[in-house]
Amino acid sequence: MLVLTRKTNESIIIGNDVQITVLEVRGEQVRLGILAPRNVPVHRYEVYVRISEENQSAAETDPSDIPETPKSPDE
Amino acid sequence: MTAANLIDTRRFGQIECKDSDLVTFRQGLVGFPDRTRFMLIQHDPESPFHWLQSVEDGNLAFLVADPAIFVKDYAPEMPDATAEFLELKEDTPRLVYTIVNIPRGQTSEMTINLAGPIIVNVETGEATQVILEDDSYSIRHRVFGERVGKVAA
Repeated sequence: MLVLTRKTNESIIIGNDVQITVLEVRGEQVRLGILAPRNVPVHRYEVYVRISEENQSAAETDPSDIPETPKSPDE
Repeated sequence: MTAANLIDTRRFGQIECKDSDLVTFRQGLVGFPDRTRFMLIQHDPESPFHWLQSVEDGNLAFLVADPAIFVKDYAPEMPDATAEFLELKEDTPRLVYTIVNIPRGQTSEMTINLAGPIIVNVETGEATQVILEDDSYSIRHRVFGERVGKVAA
């Protein structure tokens, strides 16, 4: 892993168009500002991982387990 | 029909890959960045369930459904990045699917992923899985209500 040291208001640039700036450091928390093209999704990593793990799990679903008639909302 | 149009799948045997049923995830699905082309297959004619069958990997398929079947008033805000990526304008026809997860042999434990809906631009066939940062959407929303606790005798 590449490790860089930055101060508040300093940035790194990834490729030509993703810029990440350290906005504030307070105790254990770091606030980052991210400039990226609008079509580049940016997510907190743990959220991304949870969705990824759920997709892996859902990919095991088998046709034989599908219910005949799904339940209507709020029944 | 040429052999190139046929895909061997684990769940459905050999199926024909039709351009009209093709859905393209240029960025892949979350956790599956290399799987970009899927066939949308109806589970059976009466069923509200569809499958997204990977064209590139016959073993890979996701069960999906219209979330409105299971939850009322599900209208997550579309991130700007998604609208931009899919070239969705206000009036572009689109489909929203939720991925369904049924643990093997446990239909009553079925859940749907409301935090990671799939959006399809119907005009282009381009699709993406949105990650909703809003904590009010559950990754594992139980469809058949809460589990009934039983106290062992």
